[in-house]
Amino acid sequence: MIDGLLQLIEQAQGTLFEGAIQPVLYQLGLMDWSEEAFDSVEFAMFGGLEIALAYLLFRPLELWRPVESWTERRAVRTDIVYTLVHRLGIVPAIIFLLLTPIGATIDGYLRFKGYIPPTLEQLIPPLIAWPFLTFLIYIVVIDLGEYWRHRLQHRLSWWWALHSLHHDQRQMTLWADDRNHLLDDVLKSVWSGTIALLIGVAPLEYPLVMIAFRLVESLSHTNVQLSFGRLGTPFLVGPQYHRLHHAIEHARPPFDRSMGCNFAVILPIWDVIFRTWRRAEEYPRTGVASLAGSPIRCGYLRHQLEGFRRLGIALAHLIDRRRPDFVAAFSRRDGRGQDAAA
Amino acid sequence: MALSVGAVVFSARTFRSRCRVAAARLAAALVLALACGPALAKTAVILNSDDDSLSVIDTETYKETSRVHIGRQPHHLMPTPDKQHLILAMSGSNELVFLDLSTGMIKQRLIASDPYQIGFSPDGKWFVATSLRLDRIDIYDPSDYRLVHRLPAPTMPSHIGFSPDGSTTYITLQGTNNLVAIELEPGKVLWTVPVGRQPAGVFVRPSGTILVGIMGADYIAEVEPRDGSVIRRIHTGRGAHNFLLSLDGKTLYVSNRVAGTISALDADTLAVNGTMIAPGGPDDMALTPEGHELWVTGRWRASVNVIERTSGSLKARIPVGRSPHGIFLY
Repeated sequence: MIDGLLQLIEQAQGTLFEGAIQPVLYQLGLMDWSEEAFDSVEFAMFGGLEIALAYLLFRPLELWRPVESWTERRAVRTDIVYTLVHRLGIVPAIIFLLLTPIGATIDGYLRFKGYIPPTLEQLIPPLIAWPFLTFLIYIVVIDLGEYWRHRLQHRLSWWWALHSLHHDQRQMTLWADDRNHLLDDVLKSVWSGTIALLIGVAPLEYPLVMIAFRLVESLSHTNVQLSFGRLGTPFLVGPQYHRLHHAIEHARPPFDRSMGCNFAVILPIWDVIFRTWRRAEEYPRTGVASLAGSPIRCGYLRHQLEGFRRLGIALAHLIDRRRPDFVAAFSRRDGRGQDAAA
Repeated sequence: MALSVGAVVFSARTFRSRCRVAAARLAAALVLALACGPALAKTAVILNSDDDSLSVIDTETYKETSRVHIGRQPHHLMPTPDKQHLILAMSGSNELVFLDLSTGMIKQRLIASDPYQIGFSPDGKWFVATSLRLDRIDIYDPSDYRLVHRLPAPTMPSHIGFSPDGSTTYITLQGTNNLVAIELEPGKVLWTVPVGRQPAGVFVRPSGTILVGIMGADYIAEVEPRDGSVIRRIHTGRGAHNFLLSLDGKTLYVSNRVAGTISALDADTLAVNGTMIAPGGPDDMALTPEGHELWVTGRWRASVNVIERTSGSLKARIPVGRSPHGIFLY
């Protein structure tokens, strides 16, 4: 059945590419981008499949046992836009066009100096016989990298200014995973590209498994009262686990962004090892206490501009410490230290 | 960085000696196909570049008998001049994999930087590899595959051809619409000239003139080897890509990747004698040993087309892995 599904996707990819994409490339004199465009069609198709599966699997959970219910869902609709532009390949295509020449230049320079990035199979030769195991090890290494990138996103003030776009969502749903600033996505690509330079890129053979992992990321943001329990929680990030990470209390002034918990993206083992695991049974409210109102309930483009604004304030503070930092600039406490009204 | 360099050194030393299990699996697939011995073998080997795999096909039953993980992003393959080994270029895992054609075993894996297309000079003195992604041409001494020259090649060096005397290599630069001529011994660029939009395949005629598939247009260009000037254009089909000469040397096949056709040209006059349907982005081609069938990888359809040469009819479409590219029949 899996083979049949893959063959169906392959034929659909070929049909779409030959019918719609390749003629355009040919007319525009861009046939040297054929292979990348073909791969992009696959990316977009798998992205569409991810979106459909996430909706079919997780939306019923949100309806069945929601943590919260809202009458006004404009911010959720914005997250749907985020999901579409990311998973269907628009943002990845932009980043690819921006970063590929730079990455190829750096990689090419290193090759001229004699450095060829090894693959995991070259570092651990018995893995040649176990391609699926190799793939899983890549996932583990990449997830470790993502854990530490996430820690840095919370630790560095300028990076937190960007990452706060993801955390300012007070209506967290299955759509919230891709709620990120474009610059943050660029940084993520640079980060993962550096890892690829060190251990080689992951194998391409298991696209359906990659979809499964991305579904985990969607599930972890789902608005559902669901925990994997004491036995399951250490193995896979789930909704309750990740909701603790998004808890508004961790962003309450005086805010120490290096605190917080449950930074892992897929495998909670990193939180266990590096002692950032918080065990609790609650389902706290999400968001950033000092960020409220229209800057978080706005549409996609305005939200992106808001991210630039926050980044500008954070950088200005780094340059001139007399200027308010990002947290102080957005703090709107009332006399009782309560949250600003949403 | 130091750890990674050390790891590279370590891996280079141990890599060649610890491939037994994967080699055994591949050997099992190929030996099964070669059960009657190489002379009677009816086997096609396809590299699936987006699947990191190699397909083995029985050319009598048109069935894929095995699909084996071989390494990252395999694109092209070719036999060594002595026909003892098949070299697979793995651009993603930065290796050249040598298959022993008599046993099907992996003989050796050599670290090589991003090899995309590969080729031997006719005199066997040089082995050339292009790095499409990193804009580079590597020239090796095939006696020990020692890197002799590494040349920048902006941009997207793609396919390779050689002058009949083996002194010069001609390589298409897809990103800059150029063809470059490089003298192999000194590693010196002789000329770089524009030949058409997104030039791809290269075929050098016995006379020495160079044919280039112009993938961004519908023709092949014939180029003068002395200075790279375009002598004439022969219209074949949209996305003219790659070449294959028939075993009797009379017919030159051109794959037209956008049109989904194969043009059959008179090898002497370059007149187009016929056009065959080959759906799915026809790319690399190979002939069965007796020359009756033309096998063509369909890049966009995860399949291989089998065309009956005399009638031009499509005999079979064989599903393989994603983005099949290089093909070898024996």
